[in-house]
Amino acid sequence: MSLTDQAFKKKMHGPGREVWGRVLLLAPAMVLLGLFCVSVVQLIASSFIEEGRLSLSLYTDFFSRADYRDIFLRTIRVSMLVAALCVLLGYPVAYAMWRYKGNRSHLMILIILPWLVSIVVRTYGWMVILGPKGLINEFLAWAGLVERPVRMMFNTTGVVVGLVHILIPFMIISILSVMLHLDRRLEEASASLGARSYHTFFRVTLPLTVPGIITGTMLVYLMSTGAIVTPVLLGGVRDRMMGTQMYQEVIQTFNFQKASMLAFLLLLAGLAVVLPLQMLERKLSRFMDQRGS
Amino acid sequence: MLKQRWDTIGIWAVLLFMPAPILIVAAASFSHDGYIQFPAGELSLRWYGEFLTDARWLRALLVSLGLAIAGAVLSTAAAFLAALAVTRRQSAFTRYFEVAVMTPLLFPHAALGVAMLSLLMMIGGYGTFAGLLLVHCIITLPYAYRPISVSLRKLDREMEEASMSMGARNWYTFWHVTLPLVRPGIITALLFSFILSFDEVTVTMFLVGPFITTLPVETYSFIQESGTPVVAAISTVLVVITLLLVILLERLVGLEFFVEPDRK
Repeated sequence: MSLTDQAFKKKMHGPGREVWGRVLLLAPAMVLLGLFCVSVVQLIASSFIEEGRLSLSLYTDFFSRADYRDIFLRTIRVSMLVAALCVLLGYPVAYAMWRYKGNRSHLMILIILPWLVSIVVRTYGWMVILGPKGLINEFLAWAGLVERPVRMMFNTTGVVVGLVHILIPFMIISILSVMLHLDRRLEEASASLGARSYHTFFRVTLPLTVPGIITGTMLVYLMSTGAIVTPVLLGGVRDRMMGTQMYQEVIQTFNFQKASMLAFLLLLAGLAVVLPLQMLERKLSRFMDQRGS
Repeated sequence: MLKQRWDTIGIWAVLLFMPAPILIVAAASFSHDGYIQFPAGELSLRWYGEFLTDARWLRALLVSLGLAIAGAVLSTAAAFLAALAVTRRQSAFTRYFEVAVMTPLLFPHAALGVAMLSLLMMIGGYGTFAGLLLVHCIITLPYAYRPISVSLRKLDREMEEASMSMGARNWYTFWHVTLPLVRPGIITALLFSFILSFDEVTVTMFLVGPFITTLPVETYSFIQESGTPVVAAISTVLVVITLLLVILLERLVGLEFFVEPDRK
């Protein structure tokens, strides 16, 4: 116990008041967290209850329909693809930003501003670019390269392009934050010992930044499975994803139980990827600590 | 040499790719037809006129601003009080609390939307401002909590002890020593949760009713209904508001918070 705590305790006349003080300080956040927990319990419970009895029928109905299975699998497939593309595209960007000699703050704004702008706006931006009367098609028509507009949205391609652009800041920021706290001297040591630059990169820099890649992958995958706006606006009605389906169940058919079931499945699909990744990350950091010491 | 060239290419890729859709929407918003054409069509402000004269949009804008201001203040306050209690004394409970407060981040937004809808159906508040406000506080709490707890942990407790050992009262120390030292964290929390709440759409779209809606959700529905290019003008306004807040954040405390490591 530090000096301040003792002084604090003395001024508050005994331990009882101090405990109550802490409870009071925590109360507002605990209320918010409590309501969050209640909502999750309610969500899960309502997906297992049918006509007042415990039942798995919502789940068995879901998996017995091929079109629903497609939606579920497509969501996972698209999200994995988006996460992989974000790693491939985001890593070089983070690397370039890390090595950038000038004012990094200006580059940060270029990543953070698009990241914070509403998803609706960014998705609309891609509609203006990819649409049948969009930037690319207008340009191609003007240049005389195509007769009819090329179809770039209302299919999975459009969804993937939009989601990668929307989610890549999570990846760049996760990787960059690991890079910025790397010891630059490790690279210098490797280089001074005569390692070639690609060798230094693959043997030193890349392994040390894997935790950033893992964090970024988790975030991008989770956000992608839970997306609604981008799949609806860029994917259209044919190639639906879980988010789209849930929104339809709620808004069009008012089927909250089915939406809850879908939400719980989505949660499980998220955890199935996130928990192993978290374990891997923990193992990795323990391994590196041992090697380091 | 080769590496240098790759660095430059990487930087230019960021410069072009990241803001491209936003810049293109902004450009489209000033065109007469609302679409970018080759060669460029005539310029006009008609879509901004349509935005500013339609009560539907203005009401949604007011709701969004009110929600973002009230939500940011409330969730920052809740986060600040909790962080004060937690960072002062470590125990098993505080460690659980720190994990619990971040849990909503592990929820895909669509699932969060359904969960929040079932909450508002249960306790009341579906389709009301209070209901939306409550949900925005729940979803911005982790984002407000993190910068504050980071800055409280960095705080030098000896400064507080010095103040108190020289006879300052608790409140005086709190107001004149603690608060100024964690101000960067509080400002980050306020602005960050304001922006998130102002631009939030995926969770909010489950909760809006016939009498209340936010600007991003209304814009989304409008794109689906008809989608006249007034959307481009609204989008540009949303971007400008976000841009101003990001610049404010950069000027006041810098953007380094975003690349702080998770653990110490």
